[in-house]
Amino acid sequence: MTHGDWRAGLSGWLLAAPAVGAAVVFVWAPMLASIGFSFFDWSLLRRQGTWRGLDHYLATLSNPEFHLAAGNTLIYLLALLPMQVGVPLLLAFLLLRLRLERAAAAYRLLLFVPAVLSFPVAAVIWLWMFNPVFGVLNALFGALGLPPQRWLSDPDLAIWSVIAVAFWKSFGLNLLIFHAALLTIPHEVVEAARVDGAYSLKLALTIELPLISPALFFAVVTTVIIVLDEIVGAVDVLTEGGPFRMSTNLLYYLYERGFRFFQFGEAAAVAVLISCLVALVTWAQFRFGERHVHYR
Amino acid sequence: MSTIAERGVGLGVADAAAVPPAAALSGRRRAPRQLALHLAFLGVCGATLFPLLWMLRTALAPADEVFSPHLRPWPDNPTLGNFAAAFRLHPVDAWLANSLIVAAGITAGKLALAIPAGFAFGVLRFPGRDLGFALVVGTMVVPYVITLVPTYVAVVQLGLYDTLAGVVIPSIGHCGFVVFFLRQAYRALPAELFEAARIDGAGSLRQLLTIAVPNVSGAIAAMSVLSFLSAWNLYLWPHLLLEASESKTISIGLKLFATTGEQGGEWGPLMATAMLAALPVLVLYAVAQRQLVSAFATSGIR
Repeated sequence: MTHGDWRAGLSGWLLAAPAVGAAVVFVWAPMLASIGFSFFDWSLLRRQGTWRGLDHYLATLSNPEFHLAAGNTLIYLLALLPMQVGVPLLLAFLLLRLRLERAAAAYRLLLFVPAVLSFPVAAVIWLWMFNPVFGVLNALFGALGLPPQRWLSDPDLAIWSVIAVAFWKSFGLNLLIFHAALLTIPHEVVEAARVDGAYSLKLALTIELPLISPALFFAVVTTVIIVLDEIVGAVDVLTEGGPFRMSTNLLYYLYERGFRFFQFGEAAAVAVLISCLVALVTWAQFRFGERHVHYR
Repeated sequence: MSTIAERGVGLGVADAAAVPPAAALSGRRRAPRQLALHLAFLGVCGATLFPLLWMLRTALAPADEVFSPHLRPWPDNPTLGNFAAAFRLHPVDAWLANSLIVAAGITAGKLALAIPAGFAFGVLRFPGRDLGFALVVGTMVVPYVITLVPTYVAVVQLGLYDTLAGVVIPSIGHCGFVVFFLRQAYRALPAELFEAARIDGAGSLRQLLTIAVPNVSGAIAAMSVLSFLSAWNLYLWPHLLLEASESKTISIGLKLFATTGEQGGEWGPLMATAMLAALPVLVLYAVAQRQLVSAFATSGIR
């Protein structure tokens, strides 16, 4: 190894070291610690944990509140997935068929606006619209001759209200991704199909849709991450998981176990369970993405 | 995003230039369909933006109009009174300042780590490079949820509970995507650029500062905007850590605002505060639309 190589190697490490160090200290170490915590009883007062083996996992998995949270998470997921993929996909296809590109760009710009807001801001805006007495939604319902709703305090309705807010706040991202992906399809491919007489719907389903499948999968992953993670900002502001735990989800359950009741061991176990789900989906996306990148 | 513009232009030219008679006919037939599409999009845009309009309307309405049952989209007597009331009711100015500090701090921290690291991983060659890169970019697959409890315990034991430093410092570690994005940008630069500098005897640091950074300024801008936005929007982590009312960020301040005071109370001031929380983000979006869209479209946002 020459002197120059050695110097280049050293400076490489010096430039990379802060990021590597931060990744280890703030991500990898806490991750391992979380897994460790989940086998102990832990609190801020008693620094020494007692070994509990799989107790926290077993307690979590047999807790009816956890079942409720898991079931609700599934409802959030099953409701949001088709909405978050279907609606933006339809809008993206239609945007592509607008001949006035300026207008298409403007529509996309406007439809993306809610996506830059945060979940709590979106939730507060809707909290006011959902207000049963003064809210604009019930006023609109009244104007249409429909009965007023208790959007957030009706146990059957609350979760759907949160779902509506989550959809409003995040569909723009998928629209953006789908539209960007559709625009990368070479012009000739679409034209060739059109010359062959493919009509609009057939074109969309047989040519365009398969070509943007990585974007579709990406949209599925973002939706899963929203449901397992970001939506907590909306849940906390809108319903605090209520009424009667009917709009809670897994992360909100973790938040309550860990940071309202300070059961750190149990919260860590829930975190490990949630993370396994997220990691599984993310890993699948990477695998899927890898396989499709070559065709671009 | 230049590809979008290019393709858009390309489409327009092709349509105008070589239109066979049959296509021209179908084009004329397409006009009503285009009109219907535009109307549909205007409707969808209107519905999408309505909640924001309603927030604005409530923020600017005097109390009697806030609670009036009429569906007027604009107040008859617009006033800024709700903003003044919001600042009286809660330390909204402190919340905004805290959010600014947190967002700027996290953005600066992530860039300070990612600008050199992306360069090292993308341009330099050194033993252990791949391992280092895997350690940094691998964090993208780790859900931050799993870091919450131990990080919380550590931050509390270090005496950083209820401090902005406690919010900022651990968040900087989640810079995997920024490193990844910048590395891609550095790698897209031609190798000769650095060869020439190396022959001139420029060290790695000088290559980074004088050649690499100026040439990837667009990518750095995109990552700045993205990091700022996501940090401004942070919820759960500051919510766990910031206890005193004055130390909250605007996102969690909003929650405090919404849940204190009598029921059916301060909706005008609350919407004024929501507007202040949304405004920086909306302005950033308006100004840096291009960078944001390209960053969002390439990314996994996190």
